[in-house]
Amino acid sequence: MTASNEYRFQVNLSGMIQILSNHLYSSPKVFLRELMQNATDAITARKEVEPGYQGEARIELTGTGDQLTMMVEDNGVGLTEADIHEFLAMIGQSSKRGQQALLDGETSFIGRFGIGLLSCFMVSHEIVMLTQSIKGGPSMEWRGKPDGTYTIRQLDTQLSPGTKVYLRCTPDAAHYFETEYVKEALFYYGALLPYPVTLIHDGVQSVVNQDSPIWLTRPELARSCRAEVLAFGERLLGEKFQDFITLTTASGRTGGIAYVLPHAVNLNAKRSHRVYLKRMLISEKAENILPEWAFFVKCLIWTDELQPTASREHFYENEKLEEVRSELGDVLRMGLADMAENQIERLQKLIRLHALSMKALAVQDQAFYAMIHRWLPFETTRGHRELGELIDEGDTLYYTGSIDEYRQIHHVASAQSMLVVNAGYIYDKELMAMLPVILNNVQTERIEPDEVSMTFTDVAPAERNQYYDALRLADSALQRFRCRAEVKGFKPSDLPVLFTLSQESSTLRALEKASEESTDLFSSVLGSLSAGINSAGYSTLYLNVNNPIIKRVLTSPDNQMTPIAIEMLYVNALMMGHYAMNKQELEVLNQGIVRFIDWGLRANMNHEGDA
Amino acid sequence: MKTEMDFEDLMEEAYQLPNGPAKLGFLEEAARVADVNGMVEEAYEARSEIVDAATFCGYPMKALIAFSWQLGKFDQQPELYDEETLLWSYKWILGKMPDFPEISRDKIMELLEDFGARFKSYGYSERSYWYYRFRIFMDFGELEESGRSYDKFRTLDRDFMSDCEACEQDEIMRYFLLKGDDEKVLEVAQPILKGRMSCAEIPHLTLSEILMPLYRLGRTAEADKHQTKGYRLIKGQNDFVQSFAEQMDYLTRTNPAKGIDILEETLMLAADHEDAYAKMMYYAKAAPLLRRWAEEKESEGYRMRLPASFSYEGDPGDLLKLADYFAEHAQTVAAKFDQRNGNRHVSSLIE
Repeated sequence: MTASNEYRFQVNLSGMIQILSNHLYSSPKVFLRELMQNATDAITARKEVEPGYQGEARIELTGTGDQLTMMVEDNGVGLTEADIHEFLAMIGQSSKRGQQALLDGETSFIGRFGIGLLSCFMVSHEIVMLTQSIKGGPSMEWRGKPDGTYTIRQLDTQLSPGTKVYLRCTPDAAHYFETEYVKEALFYYGALLPYPVTLIHDGVQSVVNQDSPIWLTRPELARSCRAEVLAFGERLLGEKFQDFITLTTASGRTGGIAYVLPHAVNLNAKRSHRVYLKRMLISEKAENILPEWAFFVKCLIWTDELQPTASREHFYENEKLEEVRSELGDVLRMGLADMAENQIERLQKLIRLHALSMKALAVQDQAFYAMIHRWLPFETTRGHRELGELIDEGDTLYYTGSIDEYRQIHHVASAQSMLVVNAGYIYDKELMAMLPVILNNVQTERIEPDEVSMTFTDVAPAERNQYYDALRLADSALQRFRCRAEVKGFKPSDLPVLFTLSQESSTLRALEKASEESTDLFSSVLGSLSAGINSAGYSTLYLNVNNPIIKRVLTSPDNQMTPIAIEMLYVNALMMGHYAMNKQELEVLNQGIVRFIDWGLRANMNHEGDA
Repeated sequence: MKTEMDFEDLMEEAYQLPNGPAKLGFLEEAARVADVNGMVEEAYEARSEIVDAATFCGYPMKALIAFSWQLGKFDQQPELYDEETLLWSYKWILGKMPDFPEISRDKIMELLEDFGARFKSYGYSERSYWYYRFRIFMDFGELEESGRSYDKFRTLDRDFMSDCEACEQDEIMRYFLLKGDDEKVLEVAQPILKGRMSCAEIPHLTLSEILMPLYRLGRTAEADKHQTKGYRLIKGQNDFVQSFAEQMDYLTRTNPAKGIDILEETLMLAADHEDAYAKMMYYAKAAPLLRRWAEEKESEGYRMRLPASFSYEGDPGDLLKLADYFAEHAQTVAAKFDQRNGNRHVSSLIE
């Protein structure tokens, strides 16, 4: 007598599958991982009852076209009829508690089994499961359809303990059933599984995880089989690596290999590490298992202490994860520290490629900064240099706080061979500011553009006196632009003037510009703000006495000519510095050009008249 | 050298960087290149990015300047630009306005009305207007008026222009914090602490805000946990200067040595900050922390490690003098806020 019953899930199964495929799993291909996970869980459960039991999983592909079928078999604990009802009930509960419950829920082994099984509906219109529990009882068959109907039946024959799942592929999913694909996927998910996974097709049997390496679970052995470790990384992570750092936490429950990426990485790049939970691949894009700064490595990590989300593709952000993450961060940092002490060339190579990551870490960790500071690269007026060289060159390191400030002064600074670091790039300003904290004998000083003048040659008082009238004319001409003139000598001498803006005056320029363009309300709001900075906000136009034209302007001040010449030099300096000009300044430019043409023509005519 | 890059290069460089001064540098340069070359739409695009980046990394003034320019251009030719993005930025700008003591109460109210009118004209829910009204009156220290707006905004429907639930919840929490109702603060914080509400800034802000309420209720074991987690989330980011202040406030009472670590790690971020309110709070909390630390045995001979950019000329080993320096700055700024607000609300917060 065969007991057969037709049931209906007490849930909208097609809706559930929708949720699974759209929200839970990242791709239909995970069905294979889910089946392997179920098999692994079943084998683990059996081992608990029968220590030393040798588990095994077999995957067989048969048929072609719409008869193409995959069978996944394990020799684990198997399910009783009650277990089957439990997992179905679990699915019902999850769905009643809503989608979020399904996505977040912590579930038992049986519940996870059921949810994992449902993922197969993404690739198959029917799931047939045959199972025999080690607890005895009849062998059972479960057949489920995506419309929500299923049957449970006791079989007449007694199977050996374990579970078999049969899937017949849908036309859309045919490529997930191709032999080569299945073989690769099985390796990918199960490379570390501690029992053989056998693929059978056309009478050919092969064990896909034969070369699961010992050093992966015992990272301390990895250094001695470097070539093998690198090759394994290449096969699993798809990149040709040249270096790695081994990871183990103190508890020994999490570890792995951090491969150093062979190319520079964008700071915003997704950190994607491949993580195995209890030796099954759980995620190939676990973003949250290493600290933010660790974007220079791609890791193979195994763990048995973290809790996966329902999709089993990420980990819960909980305290445990936080602990593991910070411990892995420490281990990685220690790996770098060890290099700094023992294999400096290896570290230098790494820093050259991943300077950003190293700087990010240095900002957070002064001890680390102290250790590696010499090799961090910076942009300076003497080209791209390593910090160690810069330190050796002088007592005080000058740096600018922004790219903008650097831009303003680098011509003059480099013409005078003054060493200035462009610390406008990310982390650089912080590193420069912190340098005296980690090194006692080094001073750093942030330099504002208007301070570059200290390296200008001062003009002797007697000579200055000579320029007194011209300077007064210049000051009054520039007053309406909130700029003042100053006479200095500097290189290069073909640079007639240098325009510098302090931070305040730069803000003021931007305020004015926006104010001109904005609505009345916002203009008046900006007005209130600029009132607060007005006093400090003068910019400076340095007139270079080493320049012949400037010398002439200064030595023969002309009430009419000098102010216009100074104004023109001012707007010219703005243009050269790529500053956006306000309406007033544009007007000066236009009028000035016309006036100079007029003067030129008139001078010419007078000249002709003379002749 | 990066001086001769064109607009596209500059924007691309900027997009590759996380929010911060370096990104702003590239964006400002891009805006300048666009201005100089008369590329108005590009200039608008660059300024959109400036508003976004500057708002979230401690440069509210830069954000305001760029936004003002944008709004002017938008009003001239609204058909050229996307109003949704612009009005979404308006919320950030409006939210930061009270943090500038130079901007009068009247002007802020005018801005609020302008904001409300613009939202209305595009058919968005009035909820945003009332929610911001609620926040602004909190900033003014007028809790009764704030409470009225609170009752009002909660009855209005959310729409896609509303702030996210987590952010709203955090502001509601702040309201009860200002009212001194610690029990209620923790009740309101629950959905955030349980992880049911979160966004890019929540629970980051929340975890520091609840430290003092927990402390006052004697629940320091819980507070310690939140402190550790909270600090990890905000470490190194100058968007959270006020949170650093809250962390120091708590640690002054429970673990001054750890507080000093935070002070040293974050001072650079605070000293550079454009948000006068956040910086004031930070300085205000640094002072008692230093005084408390000076009482500890371990602090003997301790010299504060000050970043190069910090403008304090005195002896870094004289902790009490340094404390005075912080306190004076905070009091001066608080007085400006009080004058603007017409009450003693801000001073009372730092006493």
